[in-house]
Amino acid sequence: MPTDSSSRGTLDEFVASAPALQRVGMRALVALARRPRGAALLARAPAIDQLAQIVVALGRYDDPEVAMTLGWDGAGVVARGRALRHAERRP
Amino acid sequence: MSERIEAEACVIGAGAGGAVVAAELAEGGMDVVVLEQGHWHDPDSFTARPPQMLARLYRDGGQTTTLGTPPILLPLGKGLGGTTLVNSGTCFRTPAKVLERWARELGLDMSEESLRPCFERVEEALSVSEVTPELAGQNAAVARRGAEKLGWSHGYLRRNARGCVGSGVCAFGCPTSAKQHTGITYIPRAKRAGARIVTGADVERVVVQGGRASGVRARMASGAHVEVQAPLVIVAAGTIHTPLLLARSGLGGSSGQLGRNLSLHPATAVFARMEEVVDMARGVPQSFYVDEFAPQGIVFEGVAGPPAYAAMSLPLTGARHAQAMADYRHLAQFGVMVSDSSRGSVRSVAGRPLIRYDLEEADLRRFRTGLARMRELFEAAGAREVYLPLPDGVSPERARLRDLKLMAFHPLGTARADARATHGVVDGELQLHGARGVYVADGSAVPSSLGVNPQMTIMALATRLAFALLGRDVEDAQAKREAA
Repeated sequence: MPTDSSSRGTLDEFVASAPALQRVGMRALVALARRPRGAALLARAPAIDQLAQIVVALGRYDDPEVAMTLGWDGAGVVARGRALRHAERRP
Repeated sequence: MSERIEAEACVIGAGAGGAVVAAELAEGGMDVVVLEQGHWHDPDSFTARPPQMLARLYRDGGQTTTLGTPPILLPLGKGLGGTTLVNSGTCFRTPAKVLERWARELGLDMSEESLRPCFERVEEALSVSEVTPELAGQNAAVARRGAEKLGWSHGYLRRNARGCVGSGVCAFGCPTSAKQHTGITYIPRAKRAGARIVTGADVERVVVQGGRASGVRARMASGAHVEVQAPLVIVAAGTIHTPLLLARSGLGGSSGQLGRNLSLHPATAVFARMEEVVDMARGVPQSFYVDEFAPQGIVFEGVAGPPAYAAMSLPLTGARHAQAMADYRHLAQFGVMVSDSSRGSVRSVAGRPLIRYDLEEADLRRFRTGLARMRELFEAAGAREVYLPLPDGVSPERARLRDLKLMAFHPLGTARADARATHGVVDGELQLHGARGVYVADGSAVPSSLGVNPQMTIMALATRLAFALLGRDVEDAQAKREAA
């Protein structure tokens, strides 16, 4: 399993798990969306632009710091779950 | 290299159907081998981070998509537990009207009364109970307020969970193991009863000799082959993959129905910005339903998740998306599910499933109604703004097929049961027409859309099948209680 837990790392893992054609398409879209000129180009095709923005947003809001500012503490949820499982000997 | 295993029954797949059959057969004294393509997912590896968990717990990273108008995202789980590992845990029995239709039109002897002991047995095994309002969270409270103001029929959902604390990430791996998916319930039971569970096994074909099942051939990731010799083969690879496996085994094709009749129970979701703090991911994401429009094939069910999930599904772009996400704590979300009359198909192209599905006009009308009603629900609940999953300027009433953004979670019907060999792939006992000893125990055998989440139907039918193979009646818990 990849161990990169940065938001870019988790997004890359997500993109890499897609079927081949979608994977190629998503990588191209993400690369374009992350560059100002690429983003301007995408803006001319709203449907494709929306798809690119979805993927980029998935990565951006997966960032634990960003999520924390929105009230979501994913690490805390995981830690609480782990403690509960171990304390109660859940599977 | 090839390993040979002998068993009395070989079960292919460890999801809702396969795990149940395997456990019941093994506990009934049968020598069982389970072949599962995926692996065991250790809850310690769950991170509650959507992109990472989609990549690890789902087939194709949860990005399986249908080909058609509109394209529909069809996430499928992968591993011990199958899709029960990543679903929301909602438990409905098969609606009586659906069973009556199956009896009338397909000649299937599956009455509500005959299936009752199966449902009770599954519900007990999975600790099925109704979500409490406290655990349901504020997202459900918003929908409840709207439904009450409008006088619409509603309720809290029943789920297979025990000791749930409302982590809010059912779809991304339950971090508390509260959700009683089959990977932590039926599979351990099967193991304790002596079943052998082989993970990472890609089943190549089911072998039939002289019209009778004789075994299964699988390939491991190492390249080695496993040959299971068994007079009973239970195929439970899921609605998308079971027809592909049967087709490449040269089985189930005589009626022309294999891979056809695919229903999806397509869905979409609506967001609303509320005055109050909702914190949608605090609580059970799918805890509440509104069934006012169920007679029209439309049901609303809760849906929610962490910011990354919401950002992915929020139907906005650019600055509006950023503004709405800045207000994430005030966002509520609810899903519109349509009991579809559209039908699709699945076939293999270069070894991968190609899923064709075009939404029919009748289902488009259901979505138009559902979206309009959902907006009404949120407005009644006091929403400051409602975000419909439609292009700017398109009202629900004028939505076209290509305007819809759909997902689906409940594929069914691609190896449908029908008493008549000319109309179905399996018979009423779920045995393949034309091949003795080969059975199907997953959503593919469920002949039509249910209008509700299907995991209980699949598990109840799997229970019924297992006891039929053991030659025993399913213990009637209700009769036992009454006698006591």
